[in-house]
Amino acid sequence: MGDGLGVGALRPWLRLLVRRRRRLWVGAGLLGLTLMAAIGLLALSGWFITASALTGMAVMASLDVHVPGGGIRAFAVTRTVARYLERLYNHDTVLRLLADLRGSLFAVLSRLDGATLAQQRASDWLTRLTADIDTLDGLYLRLLAPPAVSLALIGLLAAFLGLWLPTLAWWVAIGLVLAWLWLTLGQAWLGMAASRAQVGYRQRLRSLAVEHLQGLAELEAHDCTERHRRRLQGCQRRLHAAQRRLAGVTALGTAVVGLAVGLAMLATLWLAAAAWQREAVSGAVMVMLPLAVLAIGEALALLPNAFTSLGTTRAAAERLNALVAAEQRAPSGRCRRLGDGPLALSLSGVSLRYPGVWQLALETVSLSLNGGERLALTGSSGAGKSSIAALLTRQLLPTAGDIRLGGVPLAEIDETSLRERVGLLGQRIDLFEGSLADNLRIADPAASDERLWRALDWVTLADWVETLSEGLATPVGEGGRALSGGQARRLALARLWLRDPGLVILDEPFAGLDRETVESLVPRLDAWLQGRTVLFLVHQLDDGSTVPPGVTHHAHLVAGQLTGFARHCAIGQDVGKATTMPNEVRNG
Amino acid sequence: MPRAPDAQRWLFRHAAGQRGWLSLAVAAGLAASASTLVQLGLLAWIVSQLLAADAELASLTPAFLALAGCLVLRALAQWGQEVAGQEASLRIRTRVRAELLDHLAALGPVRGAEHAAGGVASQLVEQVEALDGYFARFLPQCILALAVPMAILSIVAWLDWLAAIFLLLAAPLIPLFMALVGVGAERVNRDQFAAVTRLAGHFLDRVRGLTTLQLFGRTVEATCEVEAAADRYRQLSLRPLRLAFLSSAVLEFFASVAIAMVAVYVGFGLLGYIGYGPSSELTLFSGLLILLLAPEFFQPLRSLAQHYHDRAAALGAAGGMFTLLSERPHPQRGKAPPRPDAPALVSLVGVTLIHPRRGRVLGPLDMAVLPGETVAITGPSGGGKSSLLHVLAGFVGPDSGQRCARDGLRLAWMDQRPWLVQGTLADNLRLTAPTASDADLEAALSKAGLAELLASLPQGLDTPLGERGSGISGGQAQRVALARLFLSDADLLLLDEPTANLDEVSEARIVAALQSLAGEGRALVIATHHPALMRLASQCRYIADGRLGESPGEESDG
Repeated sequence: MGDGLGVGALRPWLRLLVRRRRRLWVGAGLLGLTLMAAIGLLALSGWFITASALTGMAVMASLDVHVPGGGIRAFAVTRTVARYLERLYNHDTVLRLLADLRGSLFAVLSRLDGATLAQQRASDWLTRLTADIDTLDGLYLRLLAPPAVSLALIGLLAAFLGLWLPTLAWWVAIGLVLAWLWLTLGQAWLGMAASRAQVGYRQRLRSLAVEHLQGLAELEAHDCTERHRRRLQGCQRRLHAAQRRLAGVTALGTAVVGLAVGLAMLATLWLAAAAWQREAVSGAVMVMLPLAVLAIGEALALLPNAFTSLGTTRAAAERLNALVAAEQRAPSGRCRRLGDGPLALSLSGVSLRYPGVWQLALETVSLSLNGGERLALTGSSGAGKSSIAALLTRQLLPTAGDIRLGGVPLAEIDETSLRERVGLLGQRIDLFEGSLADNLRIADPAASDERLWRALDWVTLADWVETLSEGLATPVGEGGRALSGGQARRLALARLWLRDPGLVILDEPFAGLDRETVESLVPRLDAWLQGRTVLFLVHQLDDGSTVPPGVTHHAHLVAGQLTGFARHCAIGQDVGKATTMPNEVRNG
Repeated sequence: MPRAPDAQRWLFRHAAGQRGWLSLAVAAGLAASASTLVQLGLLAWIVSQLLAADAELASLTPAFLALAGCLVLRALAQWGQEVAGQEASLRIRTRVRAELLDHLAALGPVRGAEHAAGGVASQLVEQVEALDGYFARFLPQCILALAVPMAILSIVAWLDWLAAIFLLLAAPLIPLFMALVGVGAERVNRDQFAAVTRLAGHFLDRVRGLTTLQLFGRTVEATCEVEAAADRYRQLSLRPLRLAFLSSAVLEFFASVAIAMVAVYVGFGLLGYIGYGPSSELTLFSGLLILLLAPEFFQPLRSLAQHYHDRAAALGAAGGMFTLLSERPHPQRGKAPPRPDAPALVSLVGVTLIHPRRGRVLGPLDMAVLPGETVAITGPSGGGKSSLLHVLAGFVGPDSGQRCARDGLRLAWMDQRPWLVQGTLADNLRLTAPTASDADLEAALSKAGLAELLASLPQGLDTPLGERGSGISGGQAQRVALARLFLSDADLLLLDEPTANLDEVSEARIVAALQSLAGEGRALVIATHHPALMRLASQCRYIADGRLGESPGEESDG
């Protein structure tokens, strides 16, 4: 197949198929057996009836009825049994392959770094993981086995015809192979643009649907539901236009199968009749040959539908290829483990640039903390606080500069050790569909219910959970929707408590919490943070409601630059001084 | 769980709406079958003319040409059947989507959001697509599967009634088996659709939280979970497939046995081995034609069996959609009796709200929002602030009491989770203000404290944003959502924690901007913990445990 059809994109997936070579051969064999039995049944029956009629008319002397009678019954049973086994066996093969694929693709996703993850859209990923992989199931069952088997059958049929009429065999073979080429390459070519576009439209429709559902409140309040729906409908129209074209092309293919097989049958009948009249073949064979040709229609009928939508498979394969290519292999040498206790922390000359973004997110930031110290890093939203958190947790790699934890260069720290020793409460809370307990056990899978209750008690959620009829088993809904923002944040804090990190990064830990809750939380948090290095990311220190406890140092970020880094002597006293410092730096 | 007949009736109702195209598909299918019958008749006639009547090949040329004509006619009719069926399916799917979206709009944002967005999106896209085969192929084939075998049976009966009886004996068993197998397949298919919906939700959820999974070092476990989910999906898929294949295998078996029996019977009859019945009158023509017609007798039924999983898939999908559609919108929702004489923009009288799982979450409470008034609502997390805003907005209907709104009241809403879509910054702002000019957008952004950000963006308003606002910080996302409020001409702005995650400088700007909005005569209701916003308010209300009280003193002086 030429690369005009972009079959190159399928190559890695074909290689994957080849690993199950034996299953594929058995499956194709079963398919061939089924179709051969169908051809045999019709051809032999035609021969038998004609021979019987001729014997009855005393044209033929005698007929052994047992062999053809048994043959007809054998073909009938073979066809049924082979078909059932073939379908079951092949679908099992395909689904096995798909389950492996799905898992390995998620593993690829889970190794992507923060920057790549942020570029992707969650609903795209969903489409990739489910629809694209499902689309690839067509590769074997629809695109490999049927054309191979039907081509082999055309060869066998021609050989069979050639036993009596070699010229006829050549003509039929040429005609059917041309039809085969049309039904595979031709159909693929005609349907390519529409079937490729269809994938994109469907994905876009899905994104729009998710957006529509997430924005129901805004859309209704602003009375814009209709307008957004029109966008959705516009996308649907384009999808349907592509599907209409594909249906037309597929229908054309179906018509071509009928026409090609019918004409081949007609030609066979004419030539076989001519041969019979010059007594080259018997009357029974004259009837058998066109019927055998007629029966091959069943094999060719599998092709048009599959090949018209080759573009869908190709597009799916291309997107999966792109995803696999984006995977960053973990650099070797990540093998050093972090020690117990509080972790010292140092950044020297660290800069960060997001791909495709014009501004530096961080510019030559240097700061260091001894183990057990607590730094309040202030700055307005977008100043780069979250970027520092992403760097320290190795979700992003610095564009320049050196980061060390516990004296070990960050790049050399063992992944597991890093995850165990560094805890982050991010601004965005990810809760997973499942129960409260499931969400807590992400931090500690082995935690007992009792320990989970202690964690909930620690974040003052235990009383609330006790009022719920399902307790710890209460579902949190998709993305934690069943919880209020404050509850979700405290649940995430409880998750942190279940671990024993040496460095804790808290990004706006009290956002969305009422004063009463904050007041009861702060002393507990302070106690738990003893013996850990802490990084508080907050907007402002003199903001009355959110004083992070026990701050020893203060630094301020403005547009990615550190404008002040100082010891924070007495808690709550020289806050004013600390916050004016950046201004002095800026002015100076 | 709705019963299958309800879902099926719903599908029929949609089919009835496209009777024209579906009838055309059936008519084309009948024409294709008719030309097949003529074609086979000609084939048998040509053979018998050659073998039994010793006709010259050249004299049969007209018959050969007629046969070729039949082939062309049949090709055209087959093409027409597929195209007409597809057209019907496309039109029905458009209408089903519209019905689902109408229903979601009627349920409202709060009830609508109770369903996982991924699951409902999959109903709107994949499951509506799953209806395709049912309308495009299965329904037309149902009629063909009845009409075509009947026609063939009468021709065979006319040729040889005993052969017709062989076919007839096999035929009634087929629907019986199909029904038996189909009932099981349908149930399993419904289960499978539920599993696929859950699987979709599972993936969306895990992928969205990948960062958290990475931070807790749980990606390996999550991968195993995903693999396990995919394997469960495989097992679930194989079960309906085994049944679906069994139903077609049963068909194949009866078809093959019947063809074999007819072939042997006709052969023995022609040999004169059968001494009774009509077999003595069999000729090469009638014998061959019966043989050729026998597979065609079963062909429509075989096609139907092939499309039977389309039916099961459609019923499975329809079941899920029907569950959503049969969820009644709250009777009180959107029914705010207008009170042109009342001074309040919106007022609540004795309103309570009951959550199916959490019990009473609100009320009974009374509240009125007057034009130009700014109301701050404070209280502990989970105390009912958001629920109160939902009722004020009319997103949920009160379970008792009444919400009254001024005629033609225009609302604007902002959530704790800013709603951002993939597209440019301008696209995001124009979602709720389609006619705003670029200058309007820039003004709104600067009022929301984003002027500096905008100035630093080389692409300006055309800067693309990712899903859920990736690419900008949480605070910036919130301010983009705030900018939308400045673009709206609403009388009443409902804000849920508008200053969460904002620094004091931006916050002060926003407080000022909100103040100027209030000065324009707009009313604001703000759920907040923030002292600055409480100071802005002309009225501070405290809500705890779903009940309104006066704000405790220390809450308002911050």
